[in-house]
Amino acid sequence: MAQNDQALLMRLKDSGLDFVVIGGLCVVYHGVPVATFDLDICCPFGDENVRRIESAVKDLNPVHRLTANKLPMEQTRDSFKDLKNIYLQTDLGKLDCLSEVTGLGGYEQVLQQSILHSMSFGQFRMLSLNALIAAKIATGRQKDLDAVRLLSAVKEKKESQNELF
Amino acid sequence: MIDAATLAQMNGEYVMPPDAGPAWRAAAEYGFDMSLIEASLKLTPEQRLAEHQQVINFMIELQESGQAHGTK
Repeated sequence: MAQNDQALLMRLKDSGLDFVVIGGLCVVYHGVPVATFDLDICCPFGDENVRRIESAVKDLNPVHRLTANKLPMEQTRDSFKDLKNIYLQTDLGKLDCLSEVTGLGGYEQVLQQSILHSMSFGQFRMLSLNALIAAKIATGRQKDLDAVRLLSAVKEKKESQNELF
Repeated sequence: MIDAATLAQMNGEYVMPPDAGPAWRAAAEYGFDMSLIEASLKLTPEQRLAEHQQVINFMIELQESGQAHGTK
């Protein structure tokens, strides 16, 4: 099964959805080479925003990957307004959309702790290094705490070089 | 003639950078390969994401190949 994060990011941006990239891809972005097999974003929810997510992936056979029967997204439109998170499997890979990040708060708080970064395929908001470390600590999971050790080393190095993060 | 320190590095011994701070040293002593972090930090963020995509593509290909050959 493919996992094309760049293509998913471009589609989400084109849909008009506001979002911040969080999770493993953000860890990679900040300089820690880990393998991550899904794209995690934090975004505002509500019917309109979930429809934007749907429009971004509707031709990619999206299904709610954590439901027992892998419910197709198009069959769940009546529930869009009630969703707080969405975990999708699409033809371009796994896409997890969250309304809040543990340790940081809801989308507005996450947005305030993000940085806008320009890449050849567009401008995207990424969780700042400090916020990413705080979120990883808040989960308390061993794999996240391991990532914190490396992210803290990166932070220390960037601070010593007066780099912004 | 290769000196002992160089030989050790050739055998995988990590040389702590002179400017390594406490967090960097702690991560290295915990067992992480900090040379990978050093290499990653030499890339731009976009290059890191592109490299990650290549790794993911390869791992998925490897996984599918293993499944096709009955590996569990």
